[in-house]
Formats: sequence, C-alpha cells, structure tokens
Amino acid sequence: MSLRRNVFSYAVIIPFTIVLAFPFFWMFVTSLKSETQVFDPTKTWNFHPSLHAYGYLFHHTKYVTWIENSCFVGLLVVLITLAVALPAGYALARLSGRVGRTLGIAIFLTYLVPPTLLFLPLSRVVAQYLHLSDRLWALVVVYPSFTIPFAIWLLMGFFKTIPQELEDAALVDGCSRFGSLVRIVLPISLPGILTVVIFTFSLVLNEFVYAITFISSSANRTVAVGVYTDLIRGDLYDWPGIMAAILIPSIPLALIYNAFLNRFITGFTGGAFR
Amino acid sequence: MSEDRKLSRRDLLKKGAAGAAAFGAAGATAPFSFAGPLKYKGRYLSGNLSLITWVHFVPAYDQWLDPWAKAWGEKNDVQVTIEHINNTLLDQRAAAEVAAQQGHDLFFNLHPMAAYEDQVINHKPIIQEVSKKLGPYMDIAVKSTYNPKTKKYFAVSDSYVPDPVVWRKDFWNGVGEAPYTWDHVRKAAPKLKAIGHPIGIGQSSNDLDSNMALSAFLMCFGSFLQHDNNRPWLDTKKTVAAVKFMTEIYKTGEDPAIFSWNPASNNQDLLAGHASLILNAISATRTPEDTNLPFSDQLMIWPIPIGPNGRLGLEHLMGCWSIWKFAQNKQNAQQFMVDLLLAGKTATIQSKLYNFPTFEKAFPFPGIRKMAAQDTHKPHGKYTVLTTIAQKYTHNIGYPGTVNAAVDEVLTTSLIPQMFAQVSQGKLSAEDSVRQTRAQVNSIFAKWKARGKI
Repeated sequence: MSLRRNVFSYAVIIPFTIVLAFPFFWMFVTSLKSETQVFDPTKTWNFHPSLHAYGYLFHHTKYVTWIENSCFVGLLVVLITLAVALPAGYALARLSGRVGRTLGIAIFLTYLVPPTLLFLPLSRVVAQYLHLSDRLWALVVVYPSFTIPFAIWLLMGFFKTIPQELEDAALVDGCSRFGSLVRIVLPISLPGILTVVIFTFSLVLNEFVYAITFISSSANRTVAVGVYTDLIRGDLYDWPGIMAAILIPSIPLALIYNAFLNRFITGFTGGAFR
Repeated sequence: MSEDRKLSRRDLLKKGAAGAAAFGAAGATAPFSFAGPLKYKGRYLSGNLSLITWVHFVPAYDQWLDPWAKAWGEKNDVQVTIEHINNTLLDQRAAAEVAAQQGHDLFFNLHPMAAYEDQVINHKPIIQEVSKKLGPYMDIAVKSTYNPKTKKYFAVSDSYVPDPVVWRKDFWNGVGEAPYTWDHVRKAAPKLKAIGHPIGIGQSSNDLDSNMALSAFLMCFGSFLQHDNNRPWLDTKKTVAAVKFMTEIYKTGEDPAIFSWNPASNNQDLLAGHASLILNAISATRTPEDTNLPFSDQLMIWPIPIGPNGRLGLEHLMGCWSIWKFAQNKQNAQQFMVDLLLAGKTATIQSKLYNFPTFEKAFPFPGIRKMAAQDTHKPHGKYTVLTTIAQKYTHNIGYPGTVNAAVDEVLTTSLIPQMFAQVSQGKLSAEDSVRQTRAQVNSIFAKWKARGKI
C-alpha cells in the first residue's frame, strides 16, 4: 500500500516538477549561449558554453543599479505595507459583522483596479502634485496602492484564525489592546507576515507599468524595466543577456520561498479553514 | 565746445530712450537674445533639451544619434538628455505625459500622433526653415503630419521606412513559387507550411506591423479606410473579398501564433529560420547579416505583391517628432529638429538605409540607390529595390486621404487586425466582421468630425 502510494505520488510530482523547473533550466542553458547559437537549431544542446552574457550584463549595462533600485523600492514598500496593513488587517479581523466584512471587500476591490487604468491619473499626481517624475520615490509612493489592499486582505484572514480567547486572557492579565497585538497576535502571525513580506517584494520586483511610466533615466530603472528597455534592441533580442538577467534575481527569491515554504503555505491558507 | 553741440538733459533722455529702443528691437529680431554672456560665440540657445525616442531597430542608428545629439548640445550650449524606450511603450508614455502635462520637450513616435493635435505646437516653422535649404517636404510626410482641416502641422517627420516583403528564396524556390502576386502567396502558403515554413503575416492587436501589413493588403484589393477627402470608406464588397483571401492564407499556411504577435515577432520568426515570408522593413535582413546567420544571403526583398487593385503599399513606419505645448524648451526643440532634418543624409546612411529622409533633397533617390548597390551583402544589389518601393509603392496611412485623428485611432485600437483575426479564428463571418468594423470606423470618424479635426 505504502509502495503504491509512493509510486503514485512520484508519478504525479516528477512530471509536475519537470514542467515547472524546465523554464529555469532553459533560462540557464540559453544564458550560456552566444546570440548566433540561440537561433541555430543544431546548437540547442550542442554548444560551447560561455559566460559572455553575464559579463555583458555586469560590465556594459546598469544591471547592478537596477537590482539595487528594485531592492531599495522593494524594502521601503514592504515596510510601508506592513506599517499600514498590520493594524488595518487586525482591526478588520476584529470588527465583526457587516461593517467589517463590507470594509474588507471594499479594500480588496481597490486591488482589482488594473494599473493600466490607474497610470494616467497617477501620472498627474506624481508629476504635478508630488514632483517625483523620474525618481524612485514615485514608485515608493505608488506601489503601496496595490500591495496594501492585498496585504490587508491576507492578514485579515490570518488574524481571524487566532482565537479571541488568547487576547482576552492577555487583557485580563492587564495587557493593553496594543500590547496584546504586539505580544500575542504578531508572534503567532509570523507566517502571515512573512507571506506578506515575500509577496509584496515579489510584486514590486515584477511591476512594470508604473515603473516604465514614472521612470525615464536608465540609472533609475528597476530590473523589470531595465531588462526590457536596455536588453531589447529593436527587433534584436539579447536572449542570453535577458535570460541571465532574469535568472539572477530568480535564484535568491526561489531560495527564500523554499526556506519559508511551510510558513508561506500556512500564511496563505491561514484563513481558509476557519 | 560750441553752444549748439551742448547736450541738454532732455536731449540726453531722448537719445538714451531711442538707443535703448533700437537695442531692444535689435535684440528681439536678431536670432539670439541679450540674456547674458554666451558660452559659445554666435550661439543663441541655452538651457536644456529632453527627448524621448525608440530603441531603433538598427542599433547602428542609435550609436550615431546619441553622440550626434550630445555634440549638438555642446555646439549650442544646451544640455541634451535623450531617452530610448521600446517602441511598444511609446503610446503609453505619450498618454502619461499628456495626462501629467509634463514630460519631454521632443517626443518621437513611429506613427503620426494626430489625436494629440491640441496638445502640440504647430510645427510649420520647422518645416519652412528646412525647406529653405532642402526643398519641399515630401508628399508622404505632408499627408502624414498636416491636418488640412485645421491647417496645422501636428508633427514633423524626419523619416519614413519602406515596407517590402522579405522572403526566403530557398524555401520559395523549393516549392516552385515566388511572391510576385497575392495569388502566388495564396498558392504557395500550404506548400510552405507543409515543409515547416509558414507565412508570417500577423493578425495581432498588439502589433503595428500587423496593422500596416493588413492595411496595405486591403489597398491591394481596392479597400481603403477613407476617401481622398478624409471621409470614411470601407467598401464592404472589396473588404470582404480581402478578408476571405487572407483567411485562406492563414488557414492553409500560417500558425495561430500570429494572433498574439508583437512588432518583433515576425522578425524573430524569420530569424529562427521558421517563417518563409514577412512584411517588414529591412531590419529583418540587417539583423541576420549582423549576426552572421547562415541563411542571410537567402533573404530577398521585393515590393508588396500585386493584388486585384494593383501594387499599393504603406510605409512600414513614419518617424514623427512632436513638441508638446507644455514643453519647457520649445525653442531648443525646434532648432534641434531643424538640424536633425538637415542631417537627413547621414541619418539614412547610419540607419543602413532603414530610414528614408522626408526631404528628398537631403539624400536624393539616385544617391540612395547608388549606396544600396554598393552594399556587399549577398545577393548583391538586393537593396536597390528599396528606392523603387519608396518612390512607387509607399503611401501614408489613410491613403488616399491624409493622416488624421480618426485614422490614428483606428490604427492604435488595431481595428483592422481584429477584423481579420475574428474571421481567421472562426468567431465571425467575413461579412459580419467587416460590417462590425465598418460601424466602428464610422463612429470614430463621426467623433473626430464633431471635434472639428476632420
């Protein structure tokens, strides 16, 4: 029975793993080719590997700056998101009844408005009122508009799984509402908070529309925009460079996801079984 | 000193005022200001100039333009900043700049932005200035940047790009055909697909190339978007015939990927050794040459195939620069444009004959043909046909009328590719798709007519 179950599990998981891992493998292989080899079907597997694409990326583009910019914006947006979403999510979780539910849905709906609609009015806000054109701070201000609603919704679900009795006990013992949040709720909510951190950072890393609209100079670009604008020369795609540029940030992100996988799953499914 | 030569206080004031007036008048009319000491003698510009343009499909052009712009700035005491972005992002950026009423002084796009006519200055002085030295602005450029209704040049074009068919001689010869007429293409399509090399004419809403190729295809079948007086015209019968014809080409000789192509996809398909024919500018042949792909000498360039209405093509791209009304440095932008247009010959050479100048005398056709004949890539002389294509078969969008806001909107909303794709994908009949598109086109024209732009 155990053997049959194992065989079945592996039969499902192995093809699934291959399908999911193959793009990364393909990125790695392509990043080691020359441009001519990319287009040559006879060189799909039989080619001379070279680190030329990586050398080009680090020495002839502002790739390191793009990574730094993405990290700078990502970290600040994570901090802002947590600062707003933690108390908001907690408040909504404890606001029982129709009001809390309606507010929660209303906040989540704002997440559903696509950036392709919002970038036009936000252009005016960023340029005329905030005077942040072509500055990374424009992204720091704008990105929380879509990270906060998602984070609030996620944390709200997670906070709801924490028994009210734990907080009541803390309050009986003389803890304030804020104290119970900091000492009781937040430590238990660590998987949810980690999920918000990782997910927010990923969203920032992937965001494209606002970054291409509000940032002009190459030195201020984030990695998602820098790769698209500086590694595609008209119809000449620098495929090895593009693959190398995408692979590099993928690896630490994949490792972080892997390291916190269990907590991540807990964070996402926290509110699912209540 | 005699009595009559004495200068009274009244005289002094009079002469002083007259002198100041003369000095001021001279300052106002002279091509420079008296704002302060000039960094460069004889120069009258100062300050900044920011411009945004595409990442040129021929990288050598940008390698020329960027230092040229910088040198222009040094020569004119102007700090020039130039930004290149992918061509697919230009429309979005233009919309953002207009919404913010802030942005670059000079905005480049690959199609005339007629819809933004109210947001830009009249570019007539630039054209007049250049015309003094280079003669007339070409007809294709006038029809692409001038609104006869409002008498305004809403852009200035520095270049246009001929749009040939690029085809693989080895594949086509292998099936015993050549793309001389659209009927030849239809007959060859299934044979080419059978040997693994389909036709590569896009039907995508995300692709300027699809727009241009299919609009030109319609013209070959006698179907035009508008009359020469800019009134909407999408002849139902001829359009339906064209749509059915292209649907047959798709069904027998193309891949479904054409519905999601972007402007680089057909090039990529050719580069991968997959496509047997595309409609594209010569970047499609230059890139294989530059990267030494083994089949680069098998790539042929011909004019658009002949249809029932003859051989009628469009420009592949129309390089248009616009100066926003809200630009901070309009004078610098205008002078930059004048000098860039005067450098039309160099620009054409640096683009490896991708760009053709809009002032013919900048680089007359015989000179371009001579240069094309000297190109060493095989088969020798294949680029000489470009001048024939440019002179005989290259028209503006909206031909036989002029480019206007309605034509621009039809282009940017990709109604024409959608009309074809709906039929090719079996979602609508050709008649229904054409009827639907015709109604949409009429509605767009009515909207812009009501706004006084047509």
